[in-house]
Amino acid sequence: MAAKKMEILRLYKQLLRESTKFSSYNFREYALMRVKDAFRENKNLTDPAALDKQIKEGYKNLAIIKRQVVIGHMFEPQRLVIEKQLS
Amino acid sequence: MSMTTIRDRVLLVLKLYDKIDVSKLTLESHFMNDLGLDSLDHVEVVMAMEDEFGFEIPDGDAEKLLRPADIVRYIADKEEVYE
Repeated sequence: MAAKKMEILRLYKQLLRESTKFSSYNFREYALMRVKDAFRENKNLTDPAALDKQIKEGYKNLAIIKRQVVIGHMFEPQRLVIEKQLS
Repeated sequence: MSMTTIRDRVLLVLKLYDKIDVSKLTLESHFMNDLGLDSLDHVEVVMAMEDEFGFEIPDGDAEKLLRPADIVRYIADKEEVYE
C-alpha cells in the first residue's frame, strides 16, 4: 500500500510537471486544474482494482499530455494578450 | 545565500500557497498535523520549493520534509550554507 501511495504521488507530480510545459495558457491551466481535480475526486479510493484502473488512466493521460505538449510547440498559434504580457 | 534568506524564501512560498492558513504557519508547524494539508498538497508544496530554488528534490527526500524547518535545513545542506 505504501509503495502504491508513492507511485500515485510520483504520478501526480509527473502529471503536474508535464502540464506546466503547455505553451498555450488555456491548455496549461486546464490541464493543471483537471489533474488536481481528478486526484482529489478519487482521494478516498481504497479498492486495489479501482486504484489500479485509475493509475493506468493516469499514465495514459500522462502520455497524452506529453504528446500534446510537443504538438503544441510544433504548431504555435497566435499568442493571447495574457501570454504576451507575461513573456 | 544565508540561512535567513532561505528561511524567508521558504516561508514566503508557503504563505503564497492558498491552502495554508498563514496565522498557523511557523517554522515548526507540521504540514499534515498542524496545517491540515494532505499528501497531494504536500507534493505541490515540494514542487513550489523546487521552482523557487531551482533544483529537483527526489521523492525519497521529499517525503521526509514534513515541516518548514526540514525544508530550510535540506536546502541549506544542498546549497552548502551553514549557520
